Amino acid sequence: MFEVSDIVAAYGQIEALKGVSLKVESGKITCLLGPNGAGKTTLMMTIAGILQPRRGSIRLEGAELTGLTPARIVSRGVALVPENRLVFPEMSVRENLLAGAYQRRDRAGVDSDIERMYARFPRLKERREQMAGTLSGGEQQMLAVARALMSRPRLLLMDEPSLGLAPLIVAEIFDIIAELNRDGTTIFLVEQNAHMALKVAHQFFLMEQGRITFSGTPGQLAEDEVIQRAYLGSRRAAG
Amino acid sequence: MDLLDLIDAVQSVADGVLFGATYSLLGIGFTLIFGVMHKINLSYAAASIGAAYASLLVMSVVQAPAVLAFVAAAAAGGVIGGLVYLVGFRFIPLANPLATLMSTVGLLLLIDEIIVHATAGVPLNYPALFSDVIVQVGPFGLRGDLMFVFALGCVCMVVLLLLLYRTRLGLATRAVSQQPTASLLCGISTTRVNVLTFVITGIVGGIAGAMTGAAIGMLSPLLSLPLTVKGLIVTVIGGLGSIPGAIIAGLIVGGLENAFQFFRGVSERDLYIMLLLFAFLVFRPGGIFARSAGRD
Repeated sequence: MFEVSDIVAAYGQIEALKGVSLKVESGKITCLLGPNGAGKTTLMMTIAGILQPRRGSIRLEGAELTGLTPARIVSRGVALVPENRLVFPEMSVRENLLAGAYQRRDRAGVDSDIERMYARFPRLKERREQMAGTLSGGEQQMLAVARALMSRPRLLLMDEPSLGLAPLIVAEIFDIIAELNRDGTTIFLVEQNAHMALKVAHQFFLMEQGRITFSGTPGQLAEDEVIQRAYLGSRRAAG
Repeated sequence: MDLLDLIDAVQSVADGVLFGATYSLLGIGFTLIFGVMHKINLSYAAASIGAAYASLLVMSVVQAPAVLAFVAAAAAGGVIGGLVYLVGFRFIPLANPLATLMSTVGLLLLIDEIIVHATAGVPLNYPALFSDVIVQVGPFGLRGDLMFVFALGCVCMVVLLLLLYRTRLGLATRAVSQQPTASLLCGISTTRVNVLTFVITGIVGGIAGAMTGAAIGMLSPLLSLPLTVKGLIVTVIGGLGSIPGAIIAGLIVGGLENAFQFFRGVSERDLYIMLLLFAFLVFRPGGIFARSAGRD
């Protein structure tokens, strides 16, 4: 169980997260939906330790993650596939994967994991010596996922994995997400593509203006309403 | 120009190219620090000369062969590099682009002042290696001390490239320079990479400082400013962030410097190097290996 409770995070005076609490069950796919500027990416960066929260706590299986460095958080088993992929453009595909395994010291294990990634993402195998900056958007997304998996995370965070990708590639990425989950990885996903996200998610949260405004299972709320609130927010009705 | 003049000119350029290995090393130092931190460390050349001075201090205390001067300069360079990071970068607000520029100018002046005070500004002799060797190639004579400097420079470059492209630390360094946020997400400590980059470039700078001393035969506090300027010029000509660029640019600047000196005299020499800098900034701001700038 992964638990975020009452997280407040701010950029200067502006509070981006105003007390966010949510739970992600082990072995499930949990999705966080919400309009632009709701604070979804801020939450991901805070969980990964890139941003420090003002207040609140983040726990994985009961162990406190708040205040740890990003490196320590990776070693505790949390890996983030960042928004816009952020591959290392002038390193080969293989080197990107090695960077993902930076904290691991078991050479043999790392090598066999690289082979596993090549088996799961055959396109990365074809391009293993190619510079990551020359890959297509979909390939870079696969590389970013594979790179995060190289640290053998218990919890995989994904921030907008479908951003800027063609519909066919998006479907492929979501197949991969479902597959990773079947193999036992807990996944916590931020998505704009509510339709695709609701198809794979076991559970979802809606976030609006720095707060969680709904949580439930995909069947619980009509998809129309979810999509409406995920894209536009519900404040329209309130005022 | 008759044949003898031509021979002299070629000889002069060849000497310059050999000495240019020093500029290459300094250019690599500037470029590597810029690569990981996106900051210019203006105190780098002064610290390199400072490290060479420190090696003279070691040599005055222990009786040792001249080779030890290079080892001592490398060690001192590493220590000074770490101190420069601590004083000039660690607690300085990095988001402000001027802050570290100012702190490193301050360090440049501080190191210069320390040298002037410690030596009363008097130049000190520096031990050369193989200065009695001259290899005759046809009408040209290659000075042993310069060839040693060049060879040592090449060894440093090869070691640095191996370090960058064949080791775990090198992978981390490249990762931080290409995508700092993703490096953090991969569990790479950027602070550790920054410190080690300063120490390693400091070691390289110390060796470059010792090479300068050995090639010229002496050390003077007047060396640090010209070396700072040359190092920066090499970095620009090579392209900020490009190591192969810095290597080639260092050799080119070394060779051209002596060519200008031969044809126009020592007092005009640096004038033309500066003009070369402007030519590059206008026509090839990305350096020799970048595509030429579009003129629109």
